[in-house]
Amino acid sequence: MSETLHDRIQELRAVYPDPRSAILPALRLAQEEHGGWLPPAALREVADSLEVTPATCVAVASFYDQLRLEPVGRRLVEVCTNISCALAGAQQVVEAFERELGVEAGATSADGAFTLGTVECLGGCGWATVVAIDNRHRLRVTKDDVPAIVEELRGA
Amino acid sequence: MSAELVTVTVDDRTVQVPAGTGLVETAQAAGIEIPVFCYEPRLGPPVGACRMCLVEIEGMPKLQAGCTLTAQDGMVVRTAATSEKAARGQESTLEFILVNHPLDCPVCDKGGECPLQDLTFRYGPGTTRMRFSKLTVEKPIPLSPLVALDRERCILCYRCTRFSEDVAADGQLIARNRGAHTEIATFEDEPYRSPFSGNVIELCPVGALTSTLYRFDARPWDIQSVPTVCAGCAVGCNVSATIRENKVKRILSRNHPEIDRGWLCDKGRFTYPSLRAPDRVTTPLRRGPKGLEEVSWDEALDTAEELLRSSAGAIVTALSGSETTEIAFALAKLLRQGLAAHSAVLPEATSNALDAFRAPLSAIAEAEIVVVVGDDPVVERAPIVDLWITQARRNGAAVITCSPMGDVRVPPGAATELCRTLAAPGNELGERLRRAERAILVWSGPGGGGGARLAELAHELGLDERPGSGAFHLPATPNGRGVAAAWSAAADADETNPEPIGLLVVSGDEAAADPSVRALAERAERVLVSTMFQGLATGWADLVLPGTGALEREGTMVNLEGRVQRLRRAALPPCPDELAWISKLAARFGVDVSPHAAAVYAEAASHLYRDLDLEEIGLRAQLPGRAPYEAPPAATTPAPEGPLAPSDERFVGELRLVRAHALFTGPAVERVDELRFQRPPAEVELSPADAERRGIATGDPVQVRSNGTSVALRARVNRRLIEGVARVPDEHAGDLHAAVEVIKA
Amino acid sequence: MPERPELVFARTDGGAVTDLEEYVARGGFVALAKARAMEPDAVIAELEASGLRGRGGAFFPTGRKWAFVPKPDRLAKPHYLVVNADESEPGTFKDREIMLRVPFRFLEGCLIGAHAIAAKHVFVYIRGEYEREFEVLRSALEQMHARGDLLGDVTIVLHRGAGAYICGEETALLESLEGKRGQPRTKPPFPAIAGLYAAPTAVNNVESITTVTVVFELGAEEYAKVGVEGSTGTRVFSLSGNVVRPGNYELPHGITLRELIYDVGGGVPNGRSLKAVIPGGSSTPVLTADDIDTPLDFDSLVRAGSSIGSAGVIVIDDRCCMVQLGIRVSQFYEHESCGKCTPCRVGTRWLTQILQKIEDGRADQSDLDLLLSVCDRILGTCLCPLGDSDAIAVASYVARFRDEFQEHVHLGRCPFEGASSLEGILAPSALHGAHGHEHEAVPA
Ligand SMILES: Cc1cc2nc3c(=O)[nH]c(=O)nc-3n(C[C@H](O)[C@H](O)[C@H](O)COP(=O)(O)O)c2cc1C
Ligand code: SF4
Ligand code: FES
Repeated sequence: MSETLHDRIQELRAVYPDPRSAILPALRLAQEEHGGWLPPAALREVADSLEVTPATCVAVASFYDQLRLEPVGRRLVEVCTNISCALAGAQQVVEAFERELGVEAGATSADGAFTLGTVECLGGCGWATVVAIDNRHRLRVTKDDVPAIVEELRGA
Repeated sequence: MSAELVTVTVDDRTVQVPAGTGLVETAQAAGIEIPVFCYEPRLGPPVGACRMCLVEIEGMPKLQAGCTLTAQDGMVVRTAATSEKAARGQESTLEFILVNHPLDCPVCDKGGECPLQDLTFRYGPGTTRMRFSKLTVEKPIPLSPLVALDRERCILCYRCTRFSEDVAADGQLIARNRGAHTEIATFEDEPYRSPFSGNVIELCPVGALTSTLYRFDARPWDIQSVPTVCAGCAVGCNVSATIRENKVKRILSRNHPEIDRGWLCDKGRFTYPSLRAPDRVTTPLRRGPKGLEEVSWDEALDTAEELLRSSAGAIVTALSGSETTEIAFALAKLLRQGLAAHSAVLPEATSNALDAFRAPLSAIAEAEIVVVVGDDPVVERAPIVDLWITQARRNGAAVITCSPMGDVRVPPGAATELCRTLAAPGNELGERLRRAERAILVWSGPGGGGGARLAELAHELGLDERPGSGAFHLPATPNGRGVAAAWSAAADADETNPEPIGLLVVSGDEAAADPSVRALAERAERVLVSTMFQGLATGWADLVLPGTGALEREGTMVNLEGRVQRLRRAALPPCPDELAWISKLAARFGVDVSPHAAAVYAEAASHLYRDLDLEEIGLRAQLPGRAPYEAPPAATTPAPEGPLAPSDERFVGELRLVRAHALFTGPAVERVDELRFQRPPAEVELSPADAERRGIATGDPVQVRSNGTSVALRARVNRRLIEGVARVPDEHAGDLHAAVEVIKA
Repeated sequence: MPERPELVFARTDGGAVTDLEEYVARGGFVALAKARAMEPDAVIAELEASGLRGRGGAFFPTGRKWAFVPKPDRLAKPHYLVVNADESEPGTFKDREIMLRVPFRFLEGCLIGAHAIAAKHVFVYIRGEYEREFEVLRSALEQMHARGDLLGDVTIVLHRGAGAYICGEETALLESLEGKRGQPRTKPPFPAIAGLYAAPTAVNNVESITTVTVVFELGAEEYAKVGVEGSTGTRVFSLSGNVVRPGNYELPHGITLRELIYDVGGGVPNGRSLKAVIPGGSSTPVLTADDIDTPLDFDSLVRAGSSIGSAGVIVIDDRCCMVQLGIRVSQFYEHESCGKCTPCRVGTRWLTQILQKIEDGRADQSDLDLLLSVCDRILGTCLCPLGDSDAIAVASYVARFRDEFQEHVHLGRCPFEGASSLEGILAPSALHGAHGHEHEAVPA
């Protein structure tokens, strides 16, 4: 494990009256270090740094949508499909992404470049449709905006 | 601290219970059942997950989970019996539970003793309204070689995961995912490895967790239960053996609240298949030209008589410490009264000095401070004691272990010295112990005079004056004290040390498997072994007499608290038992030994237990009161051991070998394939500093050597281990000496 | 146009104040000084006088909640203030704007709260998806650190969630903060007595905490003059759905739905007509166009058969199929159920299945009865209100739009024939359950 990750987890532990509280931020850090998901090795590392079992890390990680136990693409495109976004046509936005990225919602493209997901309310209902790209929110996205967004992502 | 009584009305019946009593227990006191699934007070605070226990409380608009409430004065409770709302709530819960539960009761191991089946019958909807596909998953998967998991049957009461997290504190069994996808799992589907894993089978209220050793083996209506006591270690958990057609089919707990609280370790629960080991000795065997050969009982007794007579004056007996007190007493009478053979090798030292600090094991849970000394982790010697200590920690006690891997790190073999240090005025930890109202001391390891050194410390700290305190020695054998006491009660004469040894009498499997007994046999002209397993006798025994297992015995044992407990025969042994042949043999030497355990007990008890009546012991034995403190004989070998002298100049940087006592070892455990994964790996543990100095990392193959011998093991770096030590499980340490060198292979 | 007093967003000129100096120059931290000069009991009394009630959904009086926290001399454990910034209720996005635009007013409220309940630790549990908001708060905190006098001996920790709606429920939030799965605890004990690390804890919503600052800026008496009896002050309404100008609007309690949707929000676009309004986030019962003159305050909404909830107002026009709406809402609760208690874990999934059957035209009358019966059986049997929310919402759609449900059954198809605005609704594709081995059996 990179010394910095171990050290940063120790710093996180110090922030809390009970070090176990550091588990969510520690898993988040480990996920960033491991390409956006938590392979078993990452879970073992976090467990080791926090003096809990790897099973405990799975119990926690598997509860939260943003922590992933399966590999993801290099870019993560998540479209909110909850009520307000759905009323604004989120379904068409998802279809447009499926077309442009060549991948179905919930899957990762064959080249590992993109994972497309549909997600629950992102707290941007007034600016529907909300699309989170690597956790950064784009607001008022319509299906017509999608080709340009994908082009931009592919270019980057 | 007796709580005040409060008055509660349940379904129009009024009861008085101490304030704070759970509502489930309160209703019970009124003779009313509140049905539950997830509620299990032994697992800690209620979680209110299953919603089976919904009741109506006057003044509360919503139904309440009865299991989460406690009795308050004037509370008016209505269960399903008198509240339509509660009845509807309960019916709803059952309907929801059954939505995904498969209806495979006819082939389910739990069928007939299943709380879900029972409650559905009593409270459930008659028909199903669920017309969609049930949530289905893979059929039973092995959670470990011992436990099978059927996720479809799981109703997510979280009893098993709470046990793993809160009681065993092993952090292995978890719930993963969320919502309808929640499921019980281990990390990466690795086996659930915990000394206590089998308890989840008993905790599961449905047939989701079952025993791989019991699955499809019997149905609840064609079995009997025999209440007896586990002889796996010195705790002596109360168990109930399930018997079908004279075969032990499983072992369940029988909750003695002071000893085991209904928990068992996997050694106690799962070693019974060794009774049917392929090499089980069922007839006497005698060494002949082609090795061990079966002989008739008459021939065997003739041979035994001849061996004993011809060796008179030169007989040594090696005892196991797993004999019942009756077997030990009968054998002692035969040998000591009949042959004046007073020389015995006992498995370990014993002392009565701790009787002055006697307390039930359950007292540990209430302690303010628990101090453990000795080289072995508690769990390896007396697993249930470890659960009591975990419970104490949860209750807020300070738990301090002093060992080569402890919170306070001391070199191996330093426990005696440590006791002296703690007793000295001004020692900080000692002072904390002195101040505490409820202090517990535990000796977990070899040495220490069978608790004598700990007793001295306890006395010095004044624990005899404090009833909530206690001191426990964790012996390595289940009945070492009973055996030693029986041996010494059978005759008065002093021990002699015959040399050369004419005959070595080896009593029981543990003695037969003990390398030091084997070494003694090399100095003996002839050897008589009583054992269950032929593998233990081959190659060195001249005569083998079949032994029996604890589940096949009547008799008594003394556990580590000093409690006399009663074994009951759960299954007939496949051969006459020890008392049968001892009695016959004794007659040939003019000694009167009854073949009946009860009669032997009565005789032994007059010496040992002030005539405590066998019937009085009952199903859940009482703990005798404390004895006045009597100073034990002083330590014979002065501690501490000095720095190691190099055993061979070619080696540099020697380490002291710690032979680790492991729970899952021994002849019986070795004969159960399913327990293999629990056995100690062939590893040597090193401190990070010692490993680094030698360029060794976890997983590296290494050679562990001491003059002349060498053992190949894998290394494991243990962050908690003190420097200067190589820790190897006893069964993998071979003939290594106290000073070893560890070299990367 | 209704009157629009800006209290929470005061002195921002419609923008954000993220610079400490600027905030101070605009009168920042005067409220804190005022509160710190008062005894904690007096602070709590002032809050009670203001009538401030929780903005997280349950509308519990903030002052009274703090009064439940035992005084340190009565319970000698550390005390904690935990701020609920997990905002995840569909239709709600106000806390996010508060954190972005008035981070210091929010943090000032945290310090006033810490003073009131004698807490030395404040934890802000911020939803993991709120990246910018987290950064803004972090920067604001750094600026405050540079000026030692503001924080005093109080530590404020920003703790990020990781994607679980249930962590907005206060006890689940505490579990999550303790590093566990975010599953609600049974109450009692209440957090005020045994909350975070089993110590006395107050849990308050971001808007509530920010409004605490407002109360001390204005004084309780002035504050209570805004709004209506029982629902004092302003509320930041999140307006979304089929409306011309969606967004967050700070308005006094008691303005009507009509004023909010038409006068402020510009009405329903594209010449469509109003069909339904969800007034307080997806957990609240739906209202119909007939309820348009209902004032948005606690009591009036209860009278109308709904609830003010989180004040997330979702406007729905006549193109929306209510069965589809039910499916999408139920999918949400099914997906977010923590899995701890039986009725919620099983019932929410069952509701989705029945609704889907109705939408597909495969249902008969008994399925409609079953739908309501399952709602009824979830209601009041769950451990926490999440399961209830699904049942309440779905039951309200059936109650208010019974004919439409009936029509699905009679026609054997959706009457919108593919033209509903929710057509093609998509459930979340989150990876839960992917880890494991679940598959659906063939339909029974
Ligand atoms: C399922 C569920 C989700 C909730 N989500 C939130 C939330 O995201 N934000 C919030 O402030 N309160 C939420 N609440 C309410 C909280 O439990 C709690 O009442 C609130 O944080 C108290 O703060 P207040 O008194 O300031 O409103 C939720 C409640 C439930 C039952
Ligand atoms: S109602 Fe749902 S979310 Fe709440 S405890 Fe029960 S399962 Fe969990
Ligand atoms: S027994 Fe009370 S909720 Fe399970």
